[in-house]
Amino acid sequence: MATNPTQYAHPEALVETDWLEKHLKDDGIRIVESNEDVLLYGTGHIPGAVHIDWRADLQDPVIRDYIAPETFAELCSKNGITPDTTCVFYGDKANWWACYALWAFRLFGHGKVKILNGGRDKWKAEQRPMTRDVPKYPKTNYSVPKKRFDKEIRAFADEALAQSESGKPLIDVRSPGEFKGEVTHMPEYPQEGVLRGGHIPGAKSMPWKTATNDDNTFKSAPELAKIYFEQCGVKPETETVVYCRIGERSSHTWFVLTYLLGLDNVRNYDGSWTEWGNKVGAPIEKGA
Amino acid sequence: MYPPKLDKIINLFESLPEDERRETLVSYADNAKKQEPREGEKFDLEDVRKDEECADTVGVYLYVEENGKTHIRMTLGPEVQTLTRAMAAILCKSLDGCTPQEILDLPSDFVTRIVGSELVRIRSQTIYYVLTRIKGVCKVYLDRQRMARAEVA
Repeated sequence: MATNPTQYAHPEALVETDWLEKHLKDDGIRIVESNEDVLLYGTGHIPGAVHIDWRADLQDPVIRDYIAPETFAELCSKNGITPDTTCVFYGDKANWWACYALWAFRLFGHGKVKILNGGRDKWKAEQRPMTRDVPKYPKTNYSVPKKRFDKEIRAFADEALAQSESGKPLIDVRSPGEFKGEVTHMPEYPQEGVLRGGHIPGAKSMPWKTATNDDNTFKSAPELAKIYFEQCGVKPETETVVYCRIGERSSHTWFVLTYLLGLDNVRNYDGSWTEWGNKVGAPIEKGA
Repeated sequence: MYPPKLDKIINLFESLPEDERRETLVSYADNAKKQEPREGEKFDLEDVRKDEECADTVGVYLYVEENGKTHIRMTLGPEVQTLTRAMAAILCKSLDGCTPQEILDLPSDFVTRIVGSELVRIRSQTIYYVLTRIKGVCKVYLDRQRMARAEVA
């Protein structure tokens, strides 16, 4: 894997708005909208897109974890998705939740996943078709995934601590104020019950937004390589852990590192700061 | 217990299944622009600000008639979420004609009855914002009235 790439490692993981408009009715593709704004899908969406909510559909309703493999199979079946379906994710907020949903699909081993470059805002800005019609697809029989790939792409608090203690790359993708411990949530967002501010010792601050252009599309491969390989010290041969507040912004960075830069050893610590900042005895650094 | 217009809206939402409840919220959100100040309107109080609790700037405009009846208008920045837009439209419409004190005395439990337990569960942090802002402007108005009366006395 080159650390000075001239193009994305997996360009097939991204689709452009123009391409998607021409392939809206393709068999084998399911467009999936995932937003922060819970009612946004109802105000209009890409024709044929189904809605998957990060909290209602992907998270366990009781304990802080993801749904069980059986529930994931039901979710896919209900939305006409088979294990061979290519899911094209898009959403608001520069695709944070789309990347989060994609990452969750990968947790269950769903392999054919793509992101719509620029997300919902770019699609809308280009005045491409939107509809309020909610599509109905024949129910499929998605087989229950045999395992969840937690070990491969997800980090837990103990693993984040080990990463911190070993000095391996640990990237905090929150805003600078959150990293320094001046605030415990990003500007414009409610406090979500975090008792302490700061960052995991040894973490490098690289806000998720650094990876995107003004139109929410991803920066070029050479630009991304400069940010993550040169500035963050990420190395292809060393494991990297990314985190944010609840795992959504770090899913965006996880997608960049995994699919655009081609690293195969990046894990998302989805417990993130809402776990770490409340955890008794967890070491914290403050300041830049 | 609730102003008649609000009571009617609460009953409507409580009668709806979840899908229709969400569709109705989206319809209200679509109409949120109709609650913006109209040309020539003057207000006793204007409170336009960007709070941490909300994704964009929200303006609340209060006009109180001599008989004490209030009229509320709101402006919402483009990033304001759909649920907040819906609540703005619902509250501007349903509280029109109440007195500031009546608005201030409103218990906030009706919000969850409109929004529904499922949306409360998944997005509980955003549902009270508009009511809090409207109550805030009513409180400032009443405090000013009290101070003005005290000065006269």
